[in-house]
Amino acid sequence: MSLGGVDKNYGPVAAVRELNLQIDRGETVALLGPNGAGKSTTVAVMLGLTAPDAGHVAICGTAPRAAVLRGRIAAMLQDAGFMPGVTVSELLTLGSRLYPHPLGVGETLELAQLSTLARRRVNRLSGGQSQRLRFALAAVANPEVLVLDEPTTALDVTGRAEFWQAMRAYSSTGRTLLFATHYLEEVSENAGRAVVMMGGSVIADGTPEAIRRLAGLSTIRFSLDPDAGARRQLEALPGACDVELSGNRASVRTGDPDTTIRALVASTIAWRNLEVAAPTLDDSFRILTKDPS
Amino acid sequence: MSTHFLRLEIIRMLRDPKYLALAVLAPIGFYLLFATLFGGGPVQPGQLKGTVEIMVAMAAYGAIWAVLSTTAPRIAEERQIGWLQQLHAMPLPTSQVLFAKVAASVATALPAIVLVCTTAALLKGVALTPGQWLALTGAMWAGSSVFAALGIAIGYALGADSAYPVSYGLYMAMSAMGGLWVPPAILPSGMASFAHALPTYQLASLGWRIAAGQRPTLSSIAVLAAWGLGLSGVAVLAYRRPGMPVRRRRRPALSTTTLSTTAPSTTAPSTTVPDA
Repeated sequence: MSLGGVDKNYGPVAAVRELNLQIDRGETVALLGPNGAGKSTTVAVMLGLTAPDAGHVAICGTAPRAAVLRGRIAAMLQDAGFMPGVTVSELLTLGSRLYPHPLGVGETLELAQLSTLARRRVNRLSGGQSQRLRFALAAVANPEVLVLDEPTTALDVTGRAEFWQAMRAYSSTGRTLLFATHYLEEVSENAGRAVVMMGGSVIADGTPEAIRRLAGLSTIRFSLDPDAGARRQLEALPGACDVELSGNRASVRTGDPDTTIRALVASTIAWRNLEVAAPTLDDSFRILTKDPS
Repeated sequence: MSTHFLRLEIIRMLRDPKYLALAVLAPIGFYLLFATLFGGGPVQPGQLKGTVEIMVAMAAYGAIWAVLSTTAPRIAEERQIGWLQQLHAMPLPTSQVLFAKVAASVATALPAIVLVCTTAALLKGVALTPGQWLALTGAMWAGSSVFAALGIAIGYALGADSAYPVSYGLYMAMSAMGGLWVPPAILPSGMASFAHALPTYQLASLGWRIAAGQRPTLSSIAVLAAWGLGLSGVAVLAYRRPGMPVRRRRRPALSTTTLSTTAPSTTAPSTTVPDA
């Protein structure tokens, strides 16, 4: 799947600007960014729901709409509703009839953990159940590329865990999975690659760990008996860029924890209870999106 | 063509009790009431018996609501809840979606017409030749499809909150002014010529002419066709209108470009805002 130089404006607002994105078969990619970053527009362009003002889009070598018609790409849309008044299995049967190489309805129900709700009317589902039906309606297409736009927004913690369990089972079959999200913990657990969008463009692209390293700082915490020179001594540690002392607890932020800790060990500082906290993706995301340099 | 989609559209309509109540039971009830009150009046040469005239008027009245109520409010609702958006992302062209909706909607007009006619034949002694019954049912059924274009136009132009009251209001107004509530012969001449321009009157006129043993006039067919074409044009414009509520959600708010927090509570988008 490839997008090159894609622009999309809604009136005076540029939703997507000069977007370039290449995704290979079998990748699991998280599309990350705050609201208004252009994630949903990117998804809409990939599905041919909206035509870009400039640039080219190819999904499995064809135009988006052709890929949709051939069942190569299917999406779980953020604001998708269901045909009112029909049952879960009726709706999934419709989906399976529309796609050329569908998954069986029973199999899809199982994958989405909806088997017990097959005869329920779609308007009587809970938020989590609706979300799983949205997923099922995309998965029944048995697509090469599955796109999920904010898939877990309406779910509670258990619902999210169950959802990602189903999703990992799906992507382990070698299919491409792209999901847009603003839940950062989902990214490091479920994606092999994270693409960060901001203001309609990609501002960072790499493994979740690389994204984290790119902007994140590790935090070293330890106890010590503070004396007059402690702060100066800590600030002199190589790599240390932010030192906080509160009582006998010190916290040092560093871009290179290995070097800083070696220096700490070699120093005369009487440290104990050492902890090293890896940067959270939340932090790096915040830093990246605050200052997209 | 997805026959399963068409089948689901029809199943949904049959599951909706509002359809049965307003499009089928109400015209039958009104028919019995009006035919009993006004059906026995003296008949002048060239005029239809009251029981026949009211039968045709109520068949039109039921058929029109069957078609309008299964298009306008449903399309507006489906736009609002995002079902049409989901369909756009599936291998089903919009033309097929609309075709299935119109077909299912027009299908619901048939029982509305047939049941009023059956009531008239069984309870009020209306007797037409088999050919007349067939022609009357077929012509009125075909003519009722004009209102599908109106329903689609309303469904795409208005939000879910207003589509139902607006279509019901238009339906009542056009029925009253189109001579479905009062015999068109007693309308003052100014109102009568206005009535003749309405599709409601011309739909009933198809039935009145056939029941009287005449062919429907060309002007009836021309007026219905003109309404059908004109409303289809409006429907296309409404469909293409930029800033449909569903699309509007894709437009990012300007202020969010400076957003730096990622707390889920601040990012949940509001639900779709229907058109005022």
